[in-house]
Amino acid sequence: MSFEKFIKQELTGWMVAKGEHSDIVLSTRIRLARNLQSYLFPICASEEDAKRVNESVDQAVATMEEHHFAGTSMSDLSPLERQILVEKHLVSPQLIDPDKYGSVLLSEDETISIMVNEEDHIRIQCIYPGFQIDTAYEQANQVDSEIERNLDYAFDETFGYLTSCPSNTGTGMRASVMMHLPALTITKQIERIIPAISRLGMVVRGSYGEGSEALGNIYQISNQTTLGKSEEEILKDLDNISKRLIAHEKKSREILLAKSQVHLENRLYRSLGTITHARILPSAEAARCLSDVRLGIDLGIIENLDMAILNELMIFMQPGFLQQYAGTELTSDQRDVFRAKLFRDRLGIECTQAPGNNSEKS
Amino acid sequence: MLCENCKERPATVVFKQETMNGTTERHLCDKCAFYSQTFSFSPDQEPLSIQQFLAHWLGGSELLQGQKSNETFPDGPKCPSCGLTFHRFLDIGKFGCATCYDTFREQLPRVFAKLHNGNTNHGGKVPVSFNERFALKKQLEDIRTKMKEAVEAERFEEAAILRDEANTVKQQLADGGDDQHVI
Repeated sequence: MSFEKFIKQELTGWMVAKGEHSDIVLSTRIRLARNLQSYLFPICASEEDAKRVNESVDQAVATMEEHHFAGTSMSDLSPLERQILVEKHLVSPQLIDPDKYGSVLLSEDETISIMVNEEDHIRIQCIYPGFQIDTAYEQANQVDSEIERNLDYAFDETFGYLTSCPSNTGTGMRASVMMHLPALTITKQIERIIPAISRLGMVVRGSYGEGSEALGNIYQISNQTTLGKSEEEILKDLDNISKRLIAHEKKSREILLAKSQVHLENRLYRSLGTITHARILPSAEAARCLSDVRLGIDLGIIENLDMAILNELMIFMQPGFLQQYAGTELTSDQRDVFRAKLFRDRLGIECTQAPGNNSEKS
Repeated sequence: MLCENCKERPATVVFKQETMNGTTERHLCDKCAFYSQTFSFSPDQEPLSIQQFLAHWLGGSELLQGQKSNETFPDGPKCPSCGLTFHRFLDIGKFGCATCYDTFREQLPRVFAKLHNGNTNHGGKVPVSFNERFALKKQLEDIRTKMKEAVEAERFEEAAILRDEANTVKQQLADGGDDQHVI
């Protein structure tokens, strides 16, 4: 199986808008951090060590019967190709650090990715569309158990799975749910919810990682602690909190609609207007408008628009994908113009303007 | 050159950071550089910037006080495998290898308690191979106890059989398991 398809194929498994609560939950992800007993952790490993870890993991994965994986080292990919894997959430931003010796093994359907020599020797990630905590964990757990048959994991009776970062020690598991919470954001309730959730051992952040504000009203809820509780307990807590957030978001949408329907419609249709007619579309504005239109579809206000296209645009609007789609490198300004054109094309609005060079400076 | 963080704006600031492997250099734009200083930006994706968290909150204070009086180890215990000292661990917030956990075993419960809501012991999945090894080790111990009893009671034939059994189990322990020799 060639690795090229993972780069070329734009849509990946988790983007299909399926699965339970797919109107609010975009994807569910489980990540397990594992290390090999007899090698230094990647943070102080030599290139030789890293290569040997790579070979051991490759061999262990090759013997797995149920899944077939295709692998590549990050150094064999161009910076743009690496960027695309990050934007598809198939590898972490940390893995693509050119000074390190990271590599990745991907399952055919892209739901399982095994990152090698990231912060830990092995990071197993399973990502599913919609709200599927148990399915995602079962899959990750099964891959973990299979790998473990062939490799000696660093494990301690007291501390559990030994990881490079003490915040992962124990289960080594980070379970996260990506949610679209526009109504909680518009009504500013999210500001009170975030601190409350963090008291329950969970953490909420913007979808683009630490410190980032929630671009497009998309939040990631994940467990903060990994030591003490079992995997099942952690998943159950995450499940409970996610379900409460979903219920809360739904309630807020109803209230919003009941109290200020015209204002809400005005906002959502303006956003629809923007993404179907704008000539320059910066990423923050694009994310905000996509969020509005998505809400419009969920509420039945905006019709005749396929949610799958919105999901696709969410991914396409990112810098790496835009440049791949354009087939050339683009400056930030050029990207905003190209993004606007892409949105118009995909949303089926014919561009009736005189044909011009789209990469022209704006 | 584009900013490494946002990949949108041109990089105008070089951001240097000390890590375990030396200095890392990041090229950032004004905006990202501003945030990186204000909010202790960290390139990894942990929910918390653990380095900052450990270094500023735990480091230098109570956790090292025990060691400070000990002049032979001004930096706390040092890992024989990767060379990381406890002091350095608090600085960078990362372990260098699995042996670090053994080296810092006494200090770790306090670190973990702060990071994991007071929890210090693992309560989740255990690798099957680890369970098997654990069972074999236990079996080996049992055989040895019996063997010792047999020797003390001068039942040497029985002891010899037990010794053979112990050797078989020991071979099953692929990693050698134990550094003690069977008689």
